[in-house]
Amino acid sequence: MNVPPLVLDLRVVRPERRPVRLWLPLFLLWPLALVLGAVALLLTLVADGVLLVLGRRYHHYTVLLVRSFETLGETRGMVIRFSNEKTAVDMTVQ
Amino acid sequence: MSADRSRILDLLAGGKITAEEAERLLDALDAHAGAATAASGSAIKGDPEPLIAALPKYLYVKVLAANGDNVDVKIPIVLVRSGLKLTSLIPPLAMDKINDTMAEHGMSVDFNNFKPEDIDELIGGLRDMEVNVDAKNGDTVRVYCA
Repeated sequence: MNVPPLVLDLRVVRPERRPVRLWLPLFLLWPLALVLGAVALLLTLVADGVLLVLGRRYHHYTVLLVRSFETLGETRGMVIRFSNEKTAVDMTVQ
Repeated sequence: MSADRSRILDLLAGGKITAEEAERLLDALDAHAGAATAASGSAIKGDPEPLIAALPKYLYVKVLAANGDNVDVKIPIVLVRSGLKLTSLIPPLAMDKINDTMAEHGMSVDFNNFKPEDIDELIGGLRDMEVNVDAKNGDTVRVYCA
């Protein structure tokens, strides 16, 4: 598993206007994500336990949650650029 | 087992490379070691780093619209792999809705039939894939890995 994204670098360029560059510190959200993830993990464990006892075929919410966090962690390096005659937007996940 | 071979297998176990990529790396390592042995008469350990570095890391999607709107997206291959693997864990009810919605929009892909081995094969196949679309209205779409 990779290190989750640290910063979202956002650049907006418009003609005849000052370019805007924002570094959004995603790492500040990690503690919040950790708390929410812990609560969600508890809930999914209970849900999967209940589903397993009930004999349901699908009881993978916990794995789904963990894999979702892993997928979020893999977003580092993603770049999205959009440009037209009026605006150029550049978003990089670092 | 050599350290290089072990590292390749570690990468495979960690999901960093596909089985097909690991096979290619191991083949290349064997070929490299064989050539080195033949040249020098001694077993030289091949360094898999250049081979690993040569694997595509990103999926690029470039859209150039005739009206001047351009979109350029660079997606890490590991994210593609991770996202596709996630589809096999989506609850059946939600997956049915996703499939129905996609079918409504002309994409009849049944994600229920996606197996992890298919995903590895799909990712492996992306290496050689290149899609170029030139529309009549002047829009162009290019999808490739590098």
